[in-house]
Amino acid sequence: MELSAFIAVLTGGLVLGVLYSLMAFGLALVWTTLGIFNFAHGAFIVLGAYIAWQIGNPDAFGLGFLVSAVVTVIAMFVIGVIFQFLLVKPFERKPNIVLLTVITTLAGATVLINLINVMWGPRSKQIVLPASGDLSLGLFRITANEGLMVLIVTLTLATLGWFLLKTPLGRSMRAVAQNREAAQLMGLNVPLLYAATFGLAAALAGLAGVFIGSIRFMTPNMGDDPLQKALVVVILGGVARFTSPIYAAFLVGIIEAFSTYAVGLYWTPAVLFVLMIAVLVVKPEGLFGRRERSV
Amino acid sequence: MCLQSRMTFNHFHRNDALAAFLEIKGLGKSFGGIHAVRQLDLSIDRGEILGIAGPNGSGKSTFFNIMTKVPFAADRGEVLLEGKNILTRKAHDIARSGVARTFQRESVFPSLSAVDNVLTTVENSSAGGTHRDNVAAAILALDQAGFPATLHNTPAGALPVFLRKLVMIAAALALKPRVLLLDEPASSLTPHEIARIQALILKLKEADMTILLIEHVLPLLTAVSDRLAVLDQGELIAIGTPEAVIAEPRVVEAYLGKKQ
Ligand SMILES: Nc1ncnc2c1ncn2[C@@H]1O[C@H](COP(=O)(O)OP(=O)(O)OP(=O)(O)O)[C@@H](O)[C@H]1O
Ligand SMILES: [Mg+2]
Repeated sequence: MELSAFIAVLTGGLVLGVLYSLMAFGLALVWTTLGIFNFAHGAFIVLGAYIAWQIGNPDAFGLGFLVSAVVTVIAMFVIGVIFQFLLVKPFERKPNIVLLTVITTLAGATVLINLINVMWGPRSKQIVLPASGDLSLGLFRITANEGLMVLIVTLTLATLGWFLLKTPLGRSMRAVAQNREAAQLMGLNVPLLYAATFGLAAALAGLAGVFIGSIRFMTPNMGDDPLQKALVVVILGGVARFTSPIYAAFLVGIIEAFSTYAVGLYWTPAVLFVLMIAVLVVKPEGLFGRRERSV
Repeated sequence: MCLQSRMTFNHFHRNDALAAFLEIKGLGKSFGGIHAVRQLDLSIDRGEILGIAGPNGSGKSTFFNIMTKVPFAADRGEVLLEGKNILTRKAHDIARSGVARTFQRESVFPSLSAVDNVLTTVENSSAGGTHRDNVAAAILALDQAGFPATLHNTPAGALPVFLRKLVMIAAALALKPRVLLLDEPASSLTPHEIARIQALILKLKEADMTILLIEHVLPLLTAVSDRLAVLDQGELIAIGTPEAVIAEPRVVEAYLGKKQ
């Protein structure tokens, strides 16, 4: 492998890693806080993409990329809160909540996907990002739109880190994730924090959708692959800290890029799943994890 | 007019004993066939320390659980704090209304630092103010609990058991509680540490706090309690001065088993 090819593949992997960390972060946040896996996370990503297309694209409302991204994030927050209220909250204190919510979130995902089909039809669409041209730094070369994504995601995750570590609401969200009962005793409004967490996760999924909709052609069913990738990232990295899925996302992105180069696109999911199973066997708490659930 | 209202005010204070500060009426909780707490009636004065003893599984922790609704609510009964039933409120509102509690197992937010653990409580209490004020309040509560200032920024999960208990107590104190429920604060501590807990409890009593104290460590219990209540199989079998209660045959029986 030549150096330039190596750098190109590595760059591709890093860009993927940025996208995957955004996709996985919300899933991990919900898993640590509410103790459930949200199987509608992929559908949230798709819905985010369609909302952004509707608001931003010249063929639709044409309000431009920035407005569309902001509206999408806000709309997805609200949709997430409603979704949680209808499909997760009613089962909260049941002993088999994990299984129940697998079913309800899958059902919710199906409903969302069908709604998208009804509203926007099955024909593929694409989000147009505002930048054009390439950026390069030495041998590293990315498109300006990829650069835009890297910038926005980095800013988003940094803001989120600051929010979780330094603000009262963020601290309370981490507290609830670590110990629900102590949180209640300390006067934390657990139902409200659960709703906010779910909404935040949906908002992040929506933002991920904006970028995925610009990289690929959008179809209502395009959410399965991002959901799978996010699951792989969360399982691989564990959730010991809220940064764990971010490390894992870069690892998965880089592995995916090199495996696509070496064995082709077709076999890459198999490579990732074998890796995930190996991690589950050897270190079930995740590569960057301790055993207990916390953030 | 002014004089009269003042007199009424005094009058109320004199008659605290009429309407007890904290009154528990017909409180009960069952799990399937097990009556963990059945039909509990108690009245507790302001500033009193009520010790609660009883063999394992006698319903002591369940009593605290249903008083705070964490993790579950009572099946029946009322808890009146200054005449108002707190059980109609949500769990976090009970906490904010001045009933704080520690868990039997040291239950902290493990990856939050000691001071952040307490800060979280302050920020969510009704008294929350500016960040600077909140941090000051959190530090004050840690000081009150006797937590060493050098360890404020250590993640609570990395602290030894005694200090984790102090963090938990400090977080409870940060709620500025009128009623403090302590569930076995001395369990798995050394005698020296138990002595510090004892001093802390007496200091809190001095500050006019009403305390319910579940404890297996009898010397601590008898040393600080104004009255001692004993539960057995979810029932109150004795209540009175510690000396009198410990001497009661029914209590001895509950602890040592029935003599045939
Ligand atoms: N969540 C629960 N589900 C079913 N049974 C429970 C539950 N919590 C408590 N119990 C039962 O209720 C009874 C009282 O338990 P509780 O924990 O209140 O006892 P305790 O007096 O605190 O004991 P210990 O001194 O060991 O702490 C026990 O028989 C226990 O098994
Ligand atoms: Mg107990």
